[in-house]
Amino acid sequence: MAKRIRKISYVRCRGGSPLLDGIDRSSLPRDCGAILQLFPDGISKCRYGCLGGGSCEAACHFAAIRIEDGPPVIDTGKCVGCGLCKRACPQDLIEIILPDSNIQPKCSSRDTGKAAREACSNSCISCGICEKVCPAGAIHIRDGKPVIDPAECICCGMCAVRCPRGVIRDLNGVMTAD
Amino acid sequence: MAEEVRQIPYTFTVNGIERSVEENKPLLRYLRDDLRLYSVKDGCSEGACGTCTIVVDGYAVKACVLTTERAAGKSIITVEGLSLREKEAFVYAFGTAGSVQCGFCIPGMVMAGKALIDRNPDPTEKEIKRAIRGNVCRCTGYKKIISGIRRAAAILRGEEEVRQISQFTGKMLPEQNEFISVVGSNYDPERASGIANYENRGSSAQYGMGQNVFRIDVRKKVLGYGKYPDDIGPEYFVPADRPDLIMEQTGWTQEEYDNALAEGRLEPGTTICRKDEPLCNMCTIVDPEMPPMAYCSAVRSDYPRAVVKKIHKEKAESLPGVLGVLTAEDVPHNKVGHIQQDWDVMIAEGDTTRMAGDAICLVVAESPYILEAAKKAVKVEYEPLEPVRNIAEAKAEGAPLIHESGNLCQQRHVVRGDAAKALAESAFTVTESFSTPFTEHAFLEPECAVSFPYGDGVKILSTDQGAYDTRHETLIMFGWEDTPERVVVENQLIGGGFGGKEDVTTQHLSALAAVKYKRPVKMKFSRSESLRVHPKRHAMEGTFTLGCDENGILTGLDCEINFDTGAYASLCGPVLERACTHSVGPYNYHNTDIRGFGYYTNNPPAGAFRGFGVCQSQFALESLLNVLARKVGISPWEIRYRNAIEPGLELPNGQIADVSTALKETLVAVKPYFDDAPEDRVGIACAMKNAGVGVGLPDKGRARLEVKNGLVWIFTAASDIGQGCQTVFIQDVSQATDLPITKIWIGISNTENAPNSGTTSGSRQTLVTGEAVRGAALMLKKAMDEEGVTEETLDKLNGRKFEYEYFEPTDKLGSDKPHPKSHIAYGYATNVAVLDADGRVTDIYAAFDAGKVVNPLSMSGQIEGGVLMSMGYALTESWPLRDCVPTARYGTLGLLRSTDIPDIHAIHVEKDELLDASYGAKGVGEITSIPAAPAIAGAYYAKDGVLRTKLPIGNSFYSKKKK
Repeated sequence: MAKRIRKISYVRCRGGSPLLDGIDRSSLPRDCGAILQLFPDGISKCRYGCLGGGSCEAACHFAAIRIEDGPPVIDTGKCVGCGLCKRACPQDLIEIILPDSNIQPKCSSRDTGKAAREACSNSCISCGICEKVCPAGAIHIRDGKPVIDPAECICCGMCAVRCPRGVIRDLNGVMTAD
Repeated sequence: MAEEVRQIPYTFTVNGIERSVEENKPLLRYLRDDLRLYSVKDGCSEGACGTCTIVVDGYAVKACVLTTERAAGKSIITVEGLSLREKEAFVYAFGTAGSVQCGFCIPGMVMAGKALIDRNPDPTEKEIKRAIRGNVCRCTGYKKIISGIRRAAAILRGEEEVRQISQFTGKMLPEQNEFISVVGSNYDPERASGIANYENRGSSAQYGMGQNVFRIDVRKKVLGYGKYPDDIGPEYFVPADRPDLIMEQTGWTQEEYDNALAEGRLEPGTTICRKDEPLCNMCTIVDPEMPPMAYCSAVRSDYPRAVVKKIHKEKAESLPGVLGVLTAEDVPHNKVGHIQQDWDVMIAEGDTTRMAGDAICLVVAESPYILEAAKKAVKVEYEPLEPVRNIAEAKAEGAPLIHESGNLCQQRHVVRGDAAKALAESAFTVTESFSTPFTEHAFLEPECAVSFPYGDGVKILSTDQGAYDTRHETLIMFGWEDTPERVVVENQLIGGGFGGKEDVTTQHLSALAAVKYKRPVKMKFSRSESLRVHPKRHAMEGTFTLGCDENGILTGLDCEINFDTGAYASLCGPVLERACTHSVGPYNYHNTDIRGFGYYTNNPPAGAFRGFGVCQSQFALESLLNVLARKVGISPWEIRYRNAIEPGLELPNGQIADVSTALKETLVAVKPYFDDAPEDRVGIACAMKNAGVGVGLPDKGRARLEVKNGLVWIFTAASDIGQGCQTVFIQDVSQATDLPITKIWIGISNTENAPNSGTTSGSRQTLVTGEAVRGAALMLKKAMDEEGVTEETLDKLNGRKFEYEYFEPTDKLGSDKPHPKSHIAYGYATNVAVLDADGRVTDIYAAFDAGKVVNPLSMSGQIEGGVLMSMGYALTESWPLRDCVPTARYGTLGLLRSTDIPDIHAIHVEKDELLDASYGAKGVGEITSIPAAPAIAGAYYAKDGVLRTKLPIGNSFYSKKKK
């Protein structure tokens, strides 16, 4: 019997975008869908990032995803990769990955260049360095953000080391902090 | 980002020792250059190959990607820092599993394996494949590395023992010998007692012909202390007046040092070994006045065809630490070349480049860092010209001449019978044009050489496929052909070759600089330089017409083969010739008209590559056979069997197939698998491949045995590029003399003390050199018998030498003999490839006739590696050029990775009737990479009825995946 390889959730946002003027986080509903209804363009300068409403946390049956300050944190020991959190996220920030695919982009912004830089301190600015340094041709900028083809990626971490914005992370905490 | 700023100095632990470093640089450079941890190999420095894999905080990481800054606070382990138990587990597991061939990927594989086993002590095959998916191996096809890691895990779990087992005797050291005490440089015999006794005595019954043998180079390759040229650092050259350094390098006591000095063993130029590792070539004694090792590298043309107007080297020469910049004017004779001397050492001012990557000038500097800066400071003015991109442009009227002799580099015409008439009278004929690409060898070890002044000439420490070939080309460059002893070439470990290390690349240039500046000089290719410079497999455009009668019996072949040999001839002549002579396949028909042409273009050069022209022409022929089988209405297996050559029949070149011919046996061996597979998902192909250079050339095997200190030493200059010929030679001696392997040693391939035994090419070492070794061993055996010497009393023969030369003449191409003998032997093969419903290759049944199987473990390793290489050729590998300029990097060549491999079933077909040379062994190196590609193409033809005429084949599972 082949062992089934366990997967985990991964959140493609590190936070870091300031709230828009006049938004008070404590007054927001604890539901991301509801937040979006109130603020269709989002609550932060980056409209693509985590809303912090905790819908993912509420959806998880295993207490494996938790929101404190900023985007959710996954407890990889508890996460079973069921995908409920992914379904609950209206911003489509969560992906189900193999834990040994340890090099992952952590930004979903479609903004590029200056706009992206101004919207968030942790944003991908679509500079394309990752594409250039990838020895396997596995990473490409798509819709303003880095996308890794898991079939081609060999997890060398070159993109993570060279990314000037710290967008691409190493889950193992070696090439970058996790 | 803020959390990633670290304080200088960066502090981390390496193998348990705390280290601090001020400079931020790739960790690979720090580990190799500063700590001299040479197990961490530099295969690409761009994250693609995995040879520098180390373990950081428990994870396998590529040292070329991680920086000293990012390593701060972390714990780093290299192979050198494994526990003794782990080292022994991996040496034993990898040796018994046959995981080690060229060895350059192996330390990285060990560390990837270690990281996995630490987290998951009982990994599945699938988990191991994923764990090593970032580590490329070009030799083994991964299968034996995967089983090696599984076995290491079992040992480390305590479920398997490291033990003495008769069929896996390892190369070990005589326990009682005075100058040898332990195995390996990192080895503590007391702590290891009870672990390492597997590397114990073995008689010929355990080590002779047909035994699964633990190869002799496993330990040094697994533990990473074996030296490839790049592992020679400045510390290799020890001034004669520094006894402290000499004792440090050798492990000698003061008394041992004094003895060596008194015996004159410390003269400048002498190479000495650690006392516990007599073959390690630890360092070379040099004159105290000799400056330290320098570094050189060539500035290369970006243009495939451009006039070099002016070379501005003044700025570079004025930089501190730059010794000088050499140009064509500094080269005594500016042409080299393996066979034809058409390759400019450097392109002179006023001359025209022939390829992107031509050397313009050679910068020599005190350090690699200064060297890089100085190369950037050289400015070259070019006048770019329109390049000749392909065969059609080379043939075109008025095409620019790449060489004065014209753009047609080589041609061959092979005719027998009357092909036109036979085809006209055939029941069925088929004509198709085929096109196959350039292919990159992608050996894991980039080219590197270290040269230093030696006697009245130069000594080159080299990685190549023939020390005497390298000497020959270098002598031509210096104009020293009359005094060949002035150039000495010594092979180090060779990290794969596959044909790509037959031409000189770094050797002659480092020698030029060493002679000019009178000091040691290292030249190492970056990976991108390696990809640009060394010759590739020829791209082919060919048109083939094959006919058969109504029963599928072949009648005739007409074909025209056009090779793109790029900027230089390299081995175009022989490769083209082999493509032509083998294009008929291993079948019994006698009307052939084969025209072969090799054209110069401005592409990178093409030359030797495993398969030697036959991969291209067999792909075409075998594909056409499938079409004919359909027309006749018989199976692809049946049409091959009906035409298969047998002993006593005439091969299509007129040579009589000898008794050892076992093509039909290989067909029979795969038949059950062919029959069991679904009809529309299975393909089959046969192949034949010569062993030995043949065609009337003086292809000689030479060996000398010497008895020294009661041990037999084998001396033969025959490069072991990972295929394992050195182990084969020891088996030959063991078989002939019945000596245990404790008594048999093999010296390094060196032109000063080993006789010329030809190039590692044409699958010839096991047969040609093997027979020379056997001849010498039989002379030794005779002397032992006559003088009543046994293994215990071998001392009595101390000082005796036994030399043997083996030469079996062959007939040149176009000989008018009725049955010319082109080659001394041919190997045969049949491969069956099976696809799943999506078109993924799931299984390859690979039957090979290589005569006597010398070491079954090694042979299946050759098969698995060669077949996977052939599968890459069929499906994924490419070497794209944009206006003659290569665009691929190592990671995008399409090399198959561990997660892509099918199940390759190696089938050894060994007949009772064998040739009488070399115990009947014929060699298997090249043929392994020929039949799988057409078998896979045949399976796709069976699947969708579309004949694939291009490689890599289109509309496949793999081509779709790429998009």
